[in-house]
Amino acid sequence: MKKKYNNLLIKFFSRPETPVLVFLFFLIFIISIFTSNFLTVANLKGILEQVVVISIIALAVNQVIYGAEIDISTGSLLAVCAFVYGLVAMETGGSWIALLASLLCGFIFGLFNGFLSTYGKVPSIIVTLGMLFILRGGLLLSNPGTVLNLIEPMRFFGMGNIFGLPVSIYCLIIVIIFYHFLSFNTLWGRNIIAIGGNPRAAVNIGLPINKVRMLSFVGSGTMCGFAAAVYLGQAGQIQATAATGFELKVIAAVVLGGTSIAGGRGSNFSPIVGALLVGVILNALTLNRIPPYYELFVLGLLILIAVSFDGFRRKLLEKDV
Amino acid sequence: MNNIIKKINFYNLNRTQVLGIIFIVQMIVQSIFIPYYFSIYGFFDASRAFVEIGIISLGMTLVIISGGIDLSVGALLALVSVSIGFSYDAGFPMWAAMLLGLLAGVLGGAFNGVVIAFFRVHPLVVTLGTFALFRGIAFAISKGGAVSKFPEWFGFLGQSYVWGYVPAQLFLFLILSIIFWIILSKTSLGRYIYAIGNNIKTTTFSGIAVGKVQIYIYTLTGFLVGVAGIIHTSRIFTARGNAGFELELACIAAVVLGGARITGGSGTIAGTILGVLILNYLKDGFLFYGLRSDWGLVIIGLFLIIGVFINEFFRKK
Amino acid sequence: MEDIVCILNNISKTFGENVFACKNVNLKLNCGEVIGLVGENGAGKSTVVKCLYGLHSPSSGSIVIADKEVLFKSPKDSEQHGVFFIPQELDLFPELTIIENLFIGKKIPRNWIGNFDWKVLEKQADEIFNNLGVSFDFYMPLKLLSAANAKLVEIARALINEAKIIIMDEPTAALTQKEVKKIFEIINNLKKKKVSFIYISHRLDEIFEIADSITVLRDGELIISDHKNKFTKSKLVQYMVGRPLDQIFYRTKNKIGKKILEVKHLSYENNFKEVNLELKKGEIVGLAGLIGAGRSELAQTIFGLRKYSSGEIYINEKKININSVNDAIKFGIAYLPEERRSQGLILPFTIIWNMTLSSIKNFTSFGYINNHEEIKFVKKSSEKFTIKGAKISSPVSQLSGGNQQKVLVAKTIATKPKIIILDEPTRGVDVGAKAEIYKIIDDLANQGNAILLISSELNEVISMSDRIYVMHEGKIKGEFQKNEFNAEKIASVSAGII
Repeated sequence: MKKKYNNLLIKFFSRPETPVLVFLFFLIFIISIFTSNFLTVANLKGILEQVVVISIIALAVNQVIYGAEIDISTGSLLAVCAFVYGLVAMETGGSWIALLASLLCGFIFGLFNGFLSTYGKVPSIIVTLGMLFILRGGLLLSNPGTVLNLIEPMRFFGMGNIFGLPVSIYCLIIVIIFYHFLSFNTLWGRNIIAIGGNPRAAVNIGLPINKVRMLSFVGSGTMCGFAAAVYLGQAGQIQATAATGFELKVIAAVVLGGTSIAGGRGSNFSPIVGALLVGVILNALTLNRIPPYYELFVLGLLILIAVSFDGFRRKLLEKDV
Repeated sequence: MNNIIKKINFYNLNRTQVLGIIFIVQMIVQSIFIPYYFSIYGFFDASRAFVEIGIISLGMTLVIISGGIDLSVGALLALVSVSIGFSYDAGFPMWAAMLLGLLAGVLGGAFNGVVIAFFRVHPLVVTLGTFALFRGIAFAISKGGAVSKFPEWFGFLGQSYVWGYVPAQLFLFLILSIIFWIILSKTSLGRYIYAIGNNIKTTTFSGIAVGKVQIYIYTLTGFLVGVAGIIHTSRIFTARGNAGFELELACIAAVVLGGARITGGSGTIAGTILGVLILNYLKDGFLFYGLRSDWGLVIIGLFLIIGVFINEFFRKK
Repeated sequence: MEDIVCILNNISKTFGENVFACKNVNLKLNCGEVIGLVGENGAGKSTVVKCLYGLHSPSSGSIVIADKEVLFKSPKDSEQHGVFFIPQELDLFPELTIIENLFIGKKIPRNWIGNFDWKVLEKQADEIFNNLGVSFDFYMPLKLLSAANAKLVEIARALINEAKIIIMDEPTAALTQKEVKKIFEIINNLKKKKVSFIYISHRLDEIFEIADSITVLRDGELIISDHKNKFTKSKLVQYMVGRPLDQIFYRTKNKIGKKILEVKHLSYENNFKEVNLELKKGEIVGLAGLIGAGRSELAQTIFGLRKYSSGEIYINEKKININSVNDAIKFGIAYLPEERRSQGLILPFTIIWNMTLSSIKNFTSFGYINNHEEIKFVKKSSEKFTIKGAKISSPVSQLSGGNQQKVLVAKTIATKPKIIILDEPTRGVDVGAKAEIYKIIDDLANQGNAILLISSELNEVISMSDRIYVMHEGKIKGEFQKNEFNAEKIASVSAGII
């Protein structure tokens, strides 16, 4: 009587990102009709570039949200790590050392965020909101007018190519594999979903709630460091106001992809679909000459729609008073 | 720790007293380093900037006591300011433009309230979305530009003095503070807000329309943003889309410093006002001392985290 | 089969002042035995069991497992000693797969590459599930399973962790007949494998089928514990229900007037269907039944907290619509909730603020509260209900349970209702306060109000009511007039036996 769940079709349709994926294809179809240069290789490459950076961070923030917490400091942290990368790269001339430095920077701040949010008992929204501004302020203060320019070799992570594919794609693949491994091959991966989904049972079973949640922030911080290498590599130059508002794109990617903001539910692939959606929509705006400040409007609208759906779904499921 | 409301008031009063003392000490210290503060001019002049934060913080106090949060106030301020400026620029009479700005604030707040109450989405996420949405609309209206041409009298509210050296907007702040103090401590609405922040279930079982109250307080906050927006535009005599950057942070930090728990259920207007004063005079002091305005970001962010940390970490279960 | 696997010695648990949830309960569980633990709502079953599996620590008494005295600090602690609790509602993780749920919290072995080696665990899981006589695709998320199968997974998890004692709380509440049979098969198999059970249920039929011995608790105390053959159904009910008459009930002769409230064909989701009942002025109508019968849901629906899916409500013979609590209050309905601490009071608030929370509008003009009037009212109510223990400006959490309940009563009637629904008004209240509350209820009836008294204490219902409805699994299964009152009959209808 073994009911085979392997039926791919069933698996596909019960994944949270499926409706979004369908919507995405539909959207691409519509946009390509109305916008002439949308489906060109150059344009698609451009979209992917942005999407890669968003995805790397979104995959990490996804785990934070699984645990029923939130991290909105990623924009500022991305900028800080990018600066670290740039400065180290210029000092030493090596991109790998710079990457290490950037990762370390992200790791440290991620640890800090995580520690305060768990053992420090400060709600993660406050910690990461505060850090969003503290980091940005710190960056602006220490590098008021500086514009860092990188030369080709140091832009490896954003501009390089291996076997014809951009290095950035490899970076994303590494992150995907990393989180796949975490989720399916470590206790941590299962525990974070358990903790976000049924905190009470998690306590009763004795799962190490603080430690697990803290590590999810370490992840999001470190991934900011990783993404920074790609980001700076792509852009080539950076000033202290870089990536302002980036955290919104990350959050939009995660919630649009289908991860529930309440925690405990989602898939590891959906942030990428969400990031693609964000990337496509923003690109469509640009191609249609819609001014850049509409970006915020659209992002906000997307987030609201996504969470309203999620809220509505939960309202329908919970008939309790 | 016994947490009755009276004793919460007592604790907060203790806290408020402590804050009062901190403030006085702070002013004395700052006056030593910056003699300018020691004059009435200095003291009052610095207040111009923080009145906007203070007015909005009144609404934020209600929101946080009810267990919610509003991250969109800064963006809404920009929207209000832009509505005023660009409608005036488009030919509306000034008073109509001001009214339009007020309306924008009210509608924005109401939008927050309705989505929170009806879709039952956490205020955090909703206002994160509107944080982007309102800012986006503001930019869309202003198209990245600014309006700086206004009738002279418009500058009254933001730039003139009353009784010689008291800035005009300070008056408005005083009046609004009293009104909101009354609302929170002497009306049924205030009672309901504390109730919701403490125990939503019991509040619902007691026959109180929680959703309605939520819509009220977010709309009220939106109204306050409207007022602050008018003052802001009048003060800098410009309407542009990037106004109010970091404003929400300053408001939340002030409310939390004033003693309100971020999870809701406690807090006072007096505490919030002192929080506003302490934070902003500190920031202003740094500015005056030559430190760059970006220090403001760092300070407010730090105080926000520290404020909540003190409230939460040392609380006995 | 005769080894004693667990002993509870004089377990008592008090919460705060005088309210004891259980007192001097003794229990002996033999290896491979099923003890049926029965008792009315509030008899103390869950408290005793919570002490055993580590959620509470007993205020006094000791627990001995396999000849060693133990003190559990948490459920995890007790699990390590082989004690597992399976609650009525699923307490695992719906988003994780079956096999992940089985091994949650445990170390997962790895293969030579470094990946989790679920294959190894599959063997273990296979074995356990074979013993249970089921098989599942282990990689299916738990949320896709039926309630019965999810329960099996919970049992399986206990077994994988080498449970020696499994406590089951109302395990068959959401199951079909067939599924119940299956569970019993499994229990019997496990008994042979030296697993012992404590089986809590209100379904006396099932108790007689599955249990080896029966333990009866009442009012927190052990009444009797014996082999099941020594009981008949009616005797069992008698033990559960009969009480020494040291309770002071208070009823005076009152005048019963015209019909004031009537509901017809009222239904709400799965909780109750086609309910018809009526209340008359000056009448106290009891609503008896077990947990899950739907009584609180019915009350909450009448009070506007839930929207009924079909049916009508009439007040004074006129059909009305109740769409919100505000509507209900306007029509003169009041509801005293079951859970005093989480639904009825706001513990950090003062007595004053609590008492006027529903009725603050009576003291306001244009929203502005007249504190003077408010305090006057609260003082008067406190005197009327003899609320003692703290100043009215103190937090209500400082009061004893009985006084808290009196505050709640005062709060409930502050809206000047004509129809008052009381949901377990004397639960967790000491004897003295109980008597006072009975008097209050009687007074209310004498003033011409209609009262619906929801209670699981049969003696209370019988002594205080003029008429009794009995609910069972969402339907009204019986109505008793005063001259027909019979404790065993009512208990039997509640349990679905008749």
